[in-house]
Amino acid sequence: MIRCWLPALLATLSLATSPVLAQTSYPMLMSLKPVAAQVGQTSEHTVTSRYNLFGAYQVLVSGTGVTAKVVPVKKSKDGKEPSLTSLKLKFTVAPNALPGVRDFRLATPRGASTVGQVVIVHDKVVVETGNNNTAAKAQSVAVPSTICGAIEGAEDVDVFKFSVKKGDRLSFHVRAQRLQDRIHDLQSHVDPILTLRTATGTTLAASDNYFFADPFLSHDFTADGEYLLELRDVRYKGNSYWQYSIETSNRPFIETVFPLGIRRGQDTSLIPVGQLVPKGAMLKLNLPGTSPAGQQALRLPLAGSLSNPFRVVVSDLDGIVTEANADNNSPKQAQAVTLPTGINGRIESASDLDCYAFEAKKGDKYSFEIIARRIGSSLDSHLRILDAKGKQLQLNDDLQRYKRKSQDSWVENFTVPADGRYIIEVRDVHLRGGPRFAYFLRTTRATPFFELLLDSDKTQLTPGTSGCLFVRTERRNGFAGAIQLAVENLPAGVTAHCGQILPGGQDGCIIFEAAGNASLAITNAVISGTEIQTAETPNGPPLSSVARAMQETYMPGGGRNHWPVESHAINVGVASDIRSLTLSTHAVTLKPGGSTKIDITFKRAPGFTTNVTLDLLFRHLGTVYGNSLPAGVTIDSGASKTLITGKESRGVIVLKAAKDAKPVEKQQVPVMANVSINFVMKATYSSKPLLVTVAKP
Amino acid sequence: MTIRRGLVCCLASLLVAPVLAATPFEVVPSRTTLRGNFSRAQLLVHPLAGTGQQTDRSEDLSRIADYATLDPSVVTINDSGQLLAKGNGSTSVAVTVAGDTRYVAVEVTGIVDQPVIGFKEQVRPILSKHGCNMGSCHAAQYGKGGFKLSIFGYNPGSDRRSIVRDHSQRRVSLVRPAQSLFLLKPTLQVPHGGGQRLRRTSVDHEVLVAWLASGAPAPAGKEPTVTELEVFPTRRVSKPGTQQQLQVIAHYNDQTTRDVTAWAKYDSMDESLLEIAHSGLVSVSGRGQASVLVRFENQAQIVMFVVPSETAATLPNWKNNNFVDELAEAKFRELRIEPSGLCDDGTFIRRAYLDAIGSLPSVADTRAFLGSTRPDKRQRLVDELLGLTGDPSRDRFNDRYAAWWTLKWSDLIRNSSNKLGEQGMWALHNWIRESFRTNKPFDRFVTELVTAKGSIYSSGPANYFRINGNANDLTESTAQLFLGIRLECAKCHHHPFEKYSQGDYQNFSAFFKSVGTKRSEEFGLFGSETVVVVKAGQSGKATPLGGEPVEHPLDLRIPLAEWLTARDNQFFSQNVVNRYVSYLLGRGLVEPVDDLRSTNPPTNVALMTALSGHFAKSGYNLKQLLKALMSSRLYQLSSQPTKANVSDTRFYSHFRVKRIAAESLLDAVDVATAVPTKFKSLPLGTRATELPDAGDFYSNYFLKTFAKPKRASVCECERSSDENLAQALHTLNGDTIAGKVASKQGRVAKLLAAKKTHQQIVEELYLATLARMPTTGEQKACQEFLEQSPSPKECYEDLLWALLNSKQFLFIR
Repeated sequence: MIRCWLPALLATLSLATSPVLAQTSYPMLMSLKPVAAQVGQTSEHTVTSRYNLFGAYQVLVSGTGVTAKVVPVKKSKDGKEPSLTSLKLKFTVAPNALPGVRDFRLATPRGASTVGQVVIVHDKVVVETGNNNTAAKAQSVAVPSTICGAIEGAEDVDVFKFSVKKGDRLSFHVRAQRLQDRIHDLQSHVDPILTLRTATGTTLAASDNYFFADPFLSHDFTADGEYLLELRDVRYKGNSYWQYSIETSNRPFIETVFPLGIRRGQDTSLIPVGQLVPKGAMLKLNLPGTSPAGQQALRLPLAGSLSNPFRVVVSDLDGIVTEANADNNSPKQAQAVTLPTGINGRIESASDLDCYAFEAKKGDKYSFEIIARRIGSSLDSHLRILDAKGKQLQLNDDLQRYKRKSQDSWVENFTVPADGRYIIEVRDVHLRGGPRFAYFLRTTRATPFFELLLDSDKTQLTPGTSGCLFVRTERRNGFAGAIQLAVENLPAGVTAHCGQILPGGQDGCIIFEAAGNASLAITNAVISGTEIQTAETPNGPPLSSVARAMQETYMPGGGRNHWPVESHAINVGVASDIRSLTLSTHAVTLKPGGSTKIDITFKRAPGFTTNVTLDLLFRHLGTVYGNSLPAGVTIDSGASKTLITGKESRGVIVLKAAKDAKPVEKQQVPVMANVSINFVMKATYSSKPLLVTVAKP
Repeated sequence: MTIRRGLVCCLASLLVAPVLAATPFEVVPSRTTLRGNFSRAQLLVHPLAGTGQQTDRSEDLSRIADYATLDPSVVTINDSGQLLAKGNGSTSVAVTVAGDTRYVAVEVTGIVDQPVIGFKEQVRPILSKHGCNMGSCHAAQYGKGGFKLSIFGYNPGSDRRSIVRDHSQRRVSLVRPAQSLFLLKPTLQVPHGGGQRLRRTSVDHEVLVAWLASGAPAPAGKEPTVTELEVFPTRRVSKPGTQQQLQVIAHYNDQTTRDVTAWAKYDSMDESLLEIAHSGLVSVSGRGQASVLVRFENQAQIVMFVVPSETAATLPNWKNNNFVDELAEAKFRELRIEPSGLCDDGTFIRRAYLDAIGSLPSVADTRAFLGSTRPDKRQRLVDELLGLTGDPSRDRFNDRYAAWWTLKWSDLIRNSSNKLGEQGMWALHNWIRESFRTNKPFDRFVTELVTAKGSIYSSGPANYFRINGNANDLTESTAQLFLGIRLECAKCHHHPFEKYSQGDYQNFSAFFKSVGTKRSEEFGLFGSETVVVVKAGQSGKATPLGGEPVEHPLDLRIPLAEWLTARDNQFFSQNVVNRYVSYLLGRGLVEPVDDLRSTNPPTNVALMTALSGHFAKSGYNLKQLLKALMSSRLYQLSSQPTKANVSDTRFYSHFRVKRIAAESLLDAVDVATAVPTKFKSLPLGTRATELPDAGDFYSNYFLKTFAKPKRASVCECERSSDENLAQALHTLNGDTIAGKVASKQGRVAKLLAAKKTHQQIVEELYLATLARMPTTGEQKACQEFLEQSPSPKECYEDLLWALLNSKQFLFIR
C-alpha cells in the first residue's frame, strides 16, 4: 500500500511547478513520543517539529536493526498542503537490535530534517496518559517496562505506581537530558529528578544527576506492595518537547567494565560494574582479529541473558598492560612500562594516584590519551607527565576533539627533553575513586595525522542548484600538508566537486550539484580526506581520515554551535526560494596586491522577496565556520555588494590578495546565497565551483 | 553609681564580718619579685576553708585587709593591695585581717634612673587600657581629631609614627615630655573629645612620660609577646553585695611572667549581675550566672561568677528523663532555681511538631495523641517525628523532617538563586535535602561540603565554593558555620576576644587557596557550567585554628575536613549542639549562638560537654541529638513561669516562648484553614518550608513580613525572631489569612458542608489551630458568639480568624 502511494507523491512533489515556498525552511525535529521503541516490535510514534513535515517520505535511522516509515498524510480536501508540525512514524526494531539511543531524520520535499532520537529498549513500552501529577492520580504501570512520557509544562510532575514483591530488585534508568544535545532548536533543556516513594508518599530513594543530568537508581524492595515513581524537572519547569524514558528493569545494568582496553584474539575476562550485578560476576570474550579497533559497544551473557550494551576500547596497539596490584601511588613506586603500549588501570579509591614509569630518549615524541569518561567510566581524568624527580613537565585535564570537550585527558606530542626515566601520573581530578573509575591509557608515538569535521549534518539541494559543505581539519603532531576531500554515497542526480584543504590551511569545501531533473532523494554520505603527498612527504601510504558530522544547534541566546552526530545527509528537495545562482566567471587569478571582480546573478522564486546575502565564507555573529579561500585572499567588502534586497537579484564580490599572498593553484571556493530562516540558521545555495588562483609575484 | 557602689562596699563589710574573727586567711602571692621601673602586682587575700585551701566559694578579703610596706623606698602598696616597685632591694609588706598579719616577701630588681620603655610591652597596653585604640576612638576608620591609631594596636609601628612623627611631631615634646600634646589631651590639660582618660598622678602617666623621655623608642621585634593570660580566681560562687578583686598574670614567650592586673581591660558580660571597676574589682549586684571578660594584649580570659538564689531549690516532682535532665537539675540546684512543671499534651504535640518538622499536627494526629493513655506517648511521638521507630509505617515524617532542616541549613549555607542561578540553587538544595532525608552523619555532611568538587549542577555541595567565591569568604563562613568561631575580625587585626591573629587567619585560609574552577559540558552542550576543582601543584601548608601546620599533596581541604570533624575538636560538636539547643529551647547554651569562644562560656558547661560528647559518640547523628533534647523533661517544661523562675532567661527553667518561623507559620495557616498557598512556578501543595530558594524567584509577601531571611549572612541572627507591627497588621488585616478563612474550599466551608454540629466544628477549629480541645469557658463563649452572629458561617470564620490571630497560634509555647 505504501509502496504504491510513495511514487505518486514523489512525482507530484517533484513536478510541482510554482509552489509558494518563499523563505522555506527544512523541518527541525523537536521530539518523538513515545521516545522509546521496544526490540522485536513495530510501534507508532509521533514526531514533532518546527516547520513543515508534510510530504516526508523517508526516515533514516542510524545503526542497524531499526527502520522506520512515515504514516502517510493526505492533502486537505481543498487540495492544499497542510502545514504539519507533527507526524506519525512507525518504527520497526529487530529482536537483536542493539539497545540504546539512535539518531533518525526525515527526508522531506523541503529538505532533510535535523536529527531526532529514539531509544531502543528491551522491555515493553508504557506511555504516560492523562493527568498523573499527584500520588492520588498516579498512573498504574507494570514492571519491568519502559515508561515513556513528557514533562509537558511548568509544574508537571509525573507519578506512576507499580507493585512489587518483597525481595524484588529494580533499576530505574532515565533518559531525558541526554536526548536533547542534538535537538537543533530546543531553547531550554530538562534537568530531571527521580524519586521512589512508598504508597503513602515517604521517599525511599531519589536520584538527580547520575548519568550527567539524568537520574538512575536501583532499589531492593523489602516489602510487598505498591510504590510510587515520580519524575519531574528539578526546577519544576516543563516543555512539551521534553520526552523521557524510564527503563525499569530487574536485570543487571552494566555501567562500565574493567579492564576497558581489549586486545583482539585473546581470551579476556571483564569485571562488570553497575547495578543489580551479581557478586563476583565475570564476562568472558575473545574478540576476533578482524574486529575494528576503537570504541565499541558490546553485549555479553550475564545472569542468564544478554547484558545491556557497555563500551570498551578495542586496542590497535601491540601490547596492553594492566595496572599491577602493588601500590603505584607515587613516582618512586611507579609501575614500569615500555612505550608504546596500552594500560588498563583503575583509580581504586579516593585520592588514589596511578604512576607508570617509562624510559625514553631525548627527542622521542609520545602521545598519552585517557579513554574513560567517553565510554562510561566515572573518571574525570587528570593526566601529568613528570620527570624522574616528580617535576611536572606536562598536564592535561580535559581534552578537546571535534570541537567538544571531554573529561578525558590527552597529552599530545610530548617531546622527551633528555634521556631518562619519566612518569605518567593518572588521577581523578576530583580525587574520587572506586570500581567505576576505570580507564584505558593509550600511549603511542606521536606521529602527524589529521582529523576532519563537517560544519553541518546535512546538505540541502534543489534541482538545478548547488549546495556547499565546508570541511575543517584539526591538524595534529605537526601535520601541515594539503588534503584532498572526497565523498561517497551520493543520491542519484547529484555530483560533487571535491576541493582541497591547502597546506597549513583549515577549511576546504565540497560543492554538490543536483541535476535539473533530480528527484527527491536522500543518502547518508561518507566524506573523507586524503593527504596529498609531495616530494617532501616521508615515505609511506598517505594519511587519511573520515570526517565526523556535526549537528548545527541553535543555542539559547542566539549562538551557533555543534554536537557530533552519526551521519551527514545529502538531500534533494523540490525547487525552493532560489532557482539558480550563476557567476560571471568560474576561475579567477589574483596577483599579490591585486583584486578581481565577480558578478553574481541569482534567480528568485516567484513571490520570494526576502533579502539575500552573498558570501564566500560561512559565518555567524563574527565567527567564521568555513573559509576555503587561499591565505591572504579576502573579500573587499567596500567594493562588493553582498546584501541583495527586495526584488534585486544581482550582486558583486571583489576578491583581493594581500601583497604577501602565497601562490596557489585553482583553490575551490563556493559563492553562496544565504536566506535567513531564523536568527541563527540559514538556507544556503551555492554556485558551481569558483577556482581561485594566486599567481606568483 | 557612687551611692550604689558605696552600698555594695557597706554590704560587703557586713557580709564578711563574721569571717574576720574566726577564719584563717592566705595572701596570694606569698612572695613576689617586681622587675623594672613601674612594675606592679596585685595581692589577693582569701579566707581558707576547713581543708586549708581556698575554694570557689571563698570570699575576697582584699578590700578588707590593711596593708603596710616595711620599706617604702623598695615598694609601696595602696589600699587595694597593689604593689608598686620603687627601688632595688628586698623587703616585705604586711597584710592584716582582723588583727592577724601575714607578710609577703617582695624583691625589686631592674630599677634604673633612665628606664627604656618598650612600646609593645608597656606603651601599647596603656593605650589599650584607656581605650585610645578602640574603634570608637582613635582607631576609627579615619581616627579622631586627626590622630589615628590601629585597632587594638595591631600595628604598633604605625601607631608609634602617628604619635611621634605625624603632623611634624606636634604631639610629642621629647625635651619636655610631660608637656606633650599626647599627654596633655588625655589628662584634660587641654580639651579632649574623649574626655579624661588618664590622670596626671597615675603610674601610667609616669610610664608614658618615661617613654617619651627615653626618646620614644620604636617597637622592637625582640620585645616579648604575651602567650597566655591567667586570671585569679577563675570561678566564684558569690552573693549579691560581695566584691572580688581579680589578679591577672601575663605569660610571655621569653618564659617570664608579669602581673598586669593594672593594665588589663575588664568587661562585665552581664551588667545587671556584675560591675567591674577599672582596677579589676568585681561587685556582685544580682543573682544568676555571669562572667567578666579580661583582656590584655592579644589574650583574653573570663572569670565566672555564680550567684545562687537565697533559698534552695526543691524541684518537687522533677524526674530525670535522661542525662540532659540530670545536668539541668544540677544547674537548677546550683543556682537555686525552681523549674516550672510539665506542659500539657496539647502544648507538647504542637511544640514537638513545629520544632521537629516545622509543621502543625493534623487534627487526626492530635486527637489520637490526646486520646492516648500510653505513658510513653511523648517518647513515641518524638521517635515518630524523627523517623526513629524503625517501622516504615510510623516513620512517615521523614520528608517533612528533611524539608524543615534543609530550610534551616540552607539559610546558613546561604543557598540562593541570586548567587547560584536556578540550577545551582536546586542542586545544592537537593543535596542538603537528601542529606537530611537519609540522616547523613553531620561530619560527613560537612566533609562533603568543605571538600566539594565537580559540576555545580550535578554536585550540589560544589556550590558552596560559588557562594563563597574566595579563600577569605570560605575561611570566615567555614569557621562560623561549623565551628561557631567568628574569624572576620582577624582578617584585619588580632581578634579582640580570642587568641586568633591575622597570621592564624591567613594560615587557615590557606586551606582554600588551591580551589579553582573550570568549565564543563557535564550537562551537555547547553550546560557549560562551572566545575569546582583543586588546582594541581598548588597545595602547600595550612594550619587549623589552634593547631599545627598540615600538608597534603593533593587537596589541603582533606586534612581540613579531618581536623574539623575530629572527635577531639570540641568546637565542631559544640557548635552544632548549641545551635540545636537554641532551635529547641529558644536560647543557646552560648549566645550569640554562633559565637563560641573561651571568653563566651556556656551557661551550663556540663550540659554542653555532655551533649557534645553524646553527639560525637552517636557518630554526629543529628536525629539522636534531637531525640536527646526532645525526650528530656527540660524540653517538656511548661512555658508558664513561676514567681521563682520568672526572671530566669538563660537556664531553661521554663520553656521559652518562640515566634513561629515565617515558613512554618504560613504552612500552619494553610493547615489550619485547609487552603494551601500556591507559590509561583511550584505545584500546588508545595509547602513554604519546602521552598528551596530565598531569592526573589519565590517571593511571598507573608514570608517577607515574617522575616524569611534573604540568606545574605551566615549569621543565625539574619532570621529575626522579633515581632513587629507589620506582622500584626498582616495577620489582623492582611488578605492572606482573611482569604483563606473565607475560602470556599477552606476548613469552615467544608465543615459546614459536612453538616457538622456546632461542638464538632468548634473542636476541630481548636484542634487544627492550637492542637487542643476548647476549654469549657471557650465552648461557652463560642456558643454565645454563635447566637450573636448573623450566620454560622460568619461565626466560624470569625472564630477561626481569632484563633489564627491568637498568641497561642502564632507562637510555640
